[in-house]
Amino acid sequence: MSKKKSQIIRLGVFVVLGTLLLTAALYFIGNRQHLFTKNIDLYSKFRNVNGLQVGNNVRYSGIDVGTVNSIQIQSDTLILVRMLLRSSETQFIKKNAVATIGSDGLVGNMIINIIPREGSSASIAKGDTISSFSRIGSEDMLTTLNVTNENAALLTADLLKITTEILNGDGTLGMLIRDKRLAQDLKASIYQLKIASTNTSQMIADLETKISAIDMENSAAGILLTDSIEGNKIRHSLTQLVTLGERLNEIGNSVENIVDEIENGNGALSYLTTDTLVVRQLDATLINIKESTKRFNENMEALRHNFLFRRYFKKQERVQRKEAKKEN
Amino acid sequence: MSHKLTFSGRISGFFFEVGDMSLFAVRYFREVFRGPYEFRELLNQCYTIGNRSLLLVGVTGFILGLVFTLQSRPTLMEFGAESWMPSMVSISIVREIGPVITALICAGKIGSGIGAELGSMKVTEQIDAMEVSGTNPFKYLVITRITATTLMIPLLIVFGDFIALLGSALVENLKGGVSFTLYFNKVFNALSFGDLLPATIKSFFFGFVIGLVGCYKGYHCKKGTLGVGEASNSAVVYASMLLFIVDFIAVFISDIFFEI
Repeated sequence: MSKKKSQIIRLGVFVVLGTLLLTAALYFIGNRQHLFTKNIDLYSKFRNVNGLQVGNNVRYSGIDVGTVNSIQIQSDTLILVRMLLRSSETQFIKKNAVATIGSDGLVGNMIINIIPREGSSASIAKGDTISSFSRIGSEDMLTTLNVTNENAALLTADLLKITTEILNGDGTLGMLIRDKRLAQDLKASIYQLKIASTNTSQMIADLETKISAIDMENSAAGILLTDSIEGNKIRHSLTQLVTLGERLNEIGNSVENIVDEIENGNGALSYLTTDTLVVRQLDATLINIKESTKRFNENMEALRHNFLFRRYFKKQERVQRKEAKKEN
Repeated sequence: MSHKLTFSGRISGFFFEVGDMSLFAVRYFREVFRGPYEFRELLNQCYTIGNRSLLLVGVTGFILGLVFTLQSRPTLMEFGAESWMPSMVSISIVREIGPVITALICAGKIGSGIGAELGSMKVTEQIDAMEVSGTNPFKYLVITRITATTLMIPLLIVFGDFIALLGSALVENLKGGVSFTLYFNKVFNALSFGDLLPATIKSFFFGFVIGLVGCYKGYHCKKGTLGVGEASNSAVVYASMLLFIVDFIAVFISDIFFEI
């Protein structure tokens, strides 16, 4: 009798444990699907759900907060996704949050990620719709990759053509690579450039030494470099110099015009310089004037010895002698 | 005296057996809802089928989980997907491997036991004696056993699944440093009602099939000790075969209703 009772007790334990295990499994699975918690529904509209299915998880900042409850096509471009979120966590989700569809790992299930945005906003309420953001799907990525591959193939073909031409010595690049003389010239140029740069640096160093040797306060160069008043004066002088230059330029132009006129035969000077007959006449006139002047001097000498003007000339000599004495 | 059966004879014999077993099942359903009930014998059978098979199912399940994880681990590691081990193992065990392996073990242990027990009772004319004494042998022997297997096999499968997952978790803990909490968290993350409910429902059918075939083979045992052995053997063979057929139908139906 006691054996029978113990058998029944063991059976009871077996049945209870088995049932508990099954119930626990059902509870945990149901709990994961938020069947035993208070939920609120939240909506979001997508253009492409990328294979999202009913039952997929909804995450807020990486934490599971609900599941996808239903997916309905609203129009040809819009799909309405209904999510069931645990009401205990909805206080943290704001109305300005954005829903995106992503993948749980590289090969994982699709999930909805609710991403919080900056700025203050009220918490979501039952039946609210939050904005969505469609990320690039793997199909889009593959399409882009395909285009990139095609472009890469074209580029490679072009590159191959270019390298072949270069190797054959065609074109500028080919000539640059294949021509030994050019290479030597280039090498020599680079060597000269190197020397030039060395000299330049030496010059700069010398200049620095000279500049540092300038007495900035007392020397003219220092004043020129540092004194603002002198600088202004120099600037003024330079302005005047520029003006003078302009005027000189004008004068030069005038002179040029005169020369042009002379060369073209306009005016008296041109007449004098270009007409040989006049020059010959003028020469004869000058000789005549010279001879006339000589004769006039002789006449004047004769006049001095004339009794009528002798007195006047003696008087003049006396005055001159007096002035000479005064000076001595 | 033995005589060779022709091909058509074998075919007609097969169909006769299928038809006879169907009638046996119909009789079960007709009698099970009609009193008087043999509760004491039912509890006795539940204890024999459930408790006495737990050790075998537990050990087999544990080794199953252990080996399954050990064998799958290198392949998953090759793809860097070790973290998928709990999901993969749990879905495989809960959906298919656990129920089928447990049912096959039970078919071997319980089905053959029932077939041999009832067969020996038939051979020794104990069943006839029960009829003469006014006891309904079908109610006492068949209803209780089929009901017990139908009720106990699902529980054994639940235990088997759980112990198999424990074995898998142990390997993951020792080899991959995955804690038991994380392992079972991932297991329940991966599982859904669509995995557990069809498996649980079909396990009732598995239990029914094991009990039905065992009881039918024992109840219709041929005379002699050879008949007992044959009944026991054919109970295992037929039950195993029927289990796979039931499993196929169950998967087919659950695919429609649960979108596996």
